[in-house]
Amino acid sequence: MASVLSSSRSTAHPFGERYAGRMGPLPGASQPWVDGLRQAGRAALTSSGLPGPKVEAWRYTSLAELAKVAFIPAATADDVEVASVPSRVPRLDGFPRLVLVNGVLRRDLSDVAANAFAVPLRDALNGGDPAVRAVLGKIAPVSGSPISALNTSFLSEGLVVSAQSGAPVRLQIVTIGAAGAEPAAFHPRIVLTASDGADVTVAVHHVGLPGQSYLSNPVTEISIGRGATVRNFVDLAEDGDAFHLGLTAVNLAANGSYEDFRLALGGGLIRQDVTAIFSGDGGRVTLNGAYALAKTEHHELATTFFHDVPNCNSEQIVRGVAAGRSRAVFQGRIRVAPNAQKTDARQNHKALFLDAGPKIDCKPELEIFADDVQCAHGAATGEIDHDQLFYLLSRGIDPDTARALLVAGFLVDVVSRLSIDVVREAFAGAVSAWLKTRVVSGGVP
Amino acid sequence: MALIEIEDLHVAVAGKDVLKGLSLAIEAGTVHAIMGPNGTGKSTLSNVIAGREGYDIKRGRIVFAGRDLLAMPADERARAGIFLAFQYPVEIPGVSTSAFLKTAINAKRRAAGLSEIDAMEFLKLVKAKCKALGVADDMIKRPLNVGFSGGEKKRAEVLQMSLLEPRFAVLDETDSGLDIDALKVVSAGVNALRGPESAFLVITHYQRLLNYIVPDQVHILSGGRIVASGGRELAERLERDGYAQFQTAA
Repeated sequence: MASVLSSSRSTAHPFGERYAGRMGPLPGASQPWVDGLRQAGRAALTSSGLPGPKVEAWRYTSLAELAKVAFIPAATADDVEVASVPSRVPRLDGFPRLVLVNGVLRRDLSDVAANAFAVPLRDALNGGDPAVRAVLGKIAPVSGSPISALNTSFLSEGLVVSAQSGAPVRLQIVTIGAAGAEPAAFHPRIVLTASDGADVTVAVHHVGLPGQSYLSNPVTEISIGRGATVRNFVDLAEDGDAFHLGLTAVNLAANGSYEDFRLALGGGLIRQDVTAIFSGDGGRVTLNGAYALAKTEHHELATTFFHDVPNCNSEQIVRGVAAGRSRAVFQGRIRVAPNAQKTDARQNHKALFLDAGPKIDCKPELEIFADDVQCAHGAATGEIDHDQLFYLLSRGIDPDTARALLVAGFLVDVVSRLSIDVVREAFAGAVSAWLKTRVVSGGVP
Repeated sequence: MALIEIEDLHVAVAGKDVLKGLSLAIEAGTVHAIMGPNGTGKSTLSNVIAGREGYDIKRGRIVFAGRDLLAMPADERARAGIFLAFQYPVEIPGVSTSAFLKTAINAKRRAAGLSEIDAMEFLKLVKAKCKALGVADDMIKRPLNVGFSGGEKKRAEVLQMSLLEPRFAVLDETDSGLDIDALKVVSAGVNALRGPESAFLVITHYQRLLNYIVPDQVHILSGGRIVASGGRELAERLERDGYAQFQTAA
């Protein structure tokens, strides 16, 4: 069952021959390059396995529990029973909706207005779409990313979204995990291409049907043309037992702009990686995020920004709260190449312990090879600020309500930076709902 | 009987004695001022009255409206009518001033057995108070104290005070960092709240504030005790001759 033996550098995993053998025919059979990508993914998976604790980038997130689960490929028929989109996902005014079930685009559950922008990846692979070929596996290569290697090994389902300059494109993408009786895995791939001058906003919600065990392994490749803008707002609310190993990889041409927000409010074990490569002058990336964890939830956000060219800016602000026996990790790597003068790169992570149980790790990693740059990082973890708490108490607010206000404020402060009103309000609403169930009701002191 | 009576208060902070037998009685309807050099325990006194943790109360008691104040947690004191205007109001990102004000008003209303304030009524009330204090009412949409100028922070404190209508308010160096215009606005706000049922304790380093908030009594705090008490003229004498004359008395 396991393709490699476990060691401290790799973990035996259930995605070997048995798993591959249970997959139906994969698309793109007539396109050798498609199979070439999958072969490269499997070769990486076979030689390195899933990373073990001795792999530096994975020292905080153990895949040992995931590796014990005998996953089967999730059903990819287009009639997997999903009565409706979970009510957790809000309607966003002006954002027509696309729904993917186990990675498969479900036109029956999607809005007509959205369908026009999206092509199922399966169709693009079968047809050998050259535009897709130009991006696929180029921005999220399998080398160095076990998440991409796993996804690419089973490349088949997902979406292709293309936007030209002109009217801004807005889409809501809902990915629903729907396992059956057995734990199931799916590996959706989204290719988003914003041509020169295009303006694209996507709000992505990762949710699952309740009470099911699944692994969601999404990889999104985003190509941002000259002067184009992409906003990618990700709401991660997987079901309690779910695993999520996700990667978003972005490439920016000159004067491209990318705004990313990561909201993580649930899931069993989550690791999400975001990689951005500046390949033209004047690029700009903002990545902000908020997470709230309870019980035994594990969440890692790992970002890697490659400032390979001059005059680019990146800013990251992440705020998190953790309760119970949860575990939170933020790793932020910034590499500034020798010629990338006038780089401005800033990173800040702060997290609050809501009780004595959680563990929070933060690892900034700045590799700066240019001399005329501004780089800053800040990190702080602690309890609720005593001065802030006393200030609220001194106005007659009881301790429980005061703490709830402060925790909400801590998260809402970063959510308020999100640039699109309707998404910001939806994300702020999700944070309030989380706090109502976990903090105000007394679940968290 | 005085509204608030402090008797032989001894307080240590981090093992160091700061207040060493402070006694003070303040009647309803009066304004008292405490003046003193830095490091004599002025802020300790205001924090102990408001109920901040971290102060070791070794001896003495404070009776407020017949209740044992030191036995009450900070939030309960506030609901009973104690208010501290902070020397350095705390910035709270992500919490809008209006949400905070509404929560505080409702906490007090609930304690008094009243229903929560209606959203329209709240807005009307806040707008009226802002207007009276010369505060731009878009301030309440901003996160609490975040990015407020020194003057805005102090005005926000007085706005809170006027909305919560305390029976006993302590103003901890409210004049620090204020220009003369802001000082006038803040003082006018305080004076508007004076009445037969309420009392104020104005803590200040300088006599200037007392030109605008005229006290009934002035006390000099030195070495952790009140070393002199008198009328307004005491503040003027202090301004003219300095603290040295009183420090020897301690």
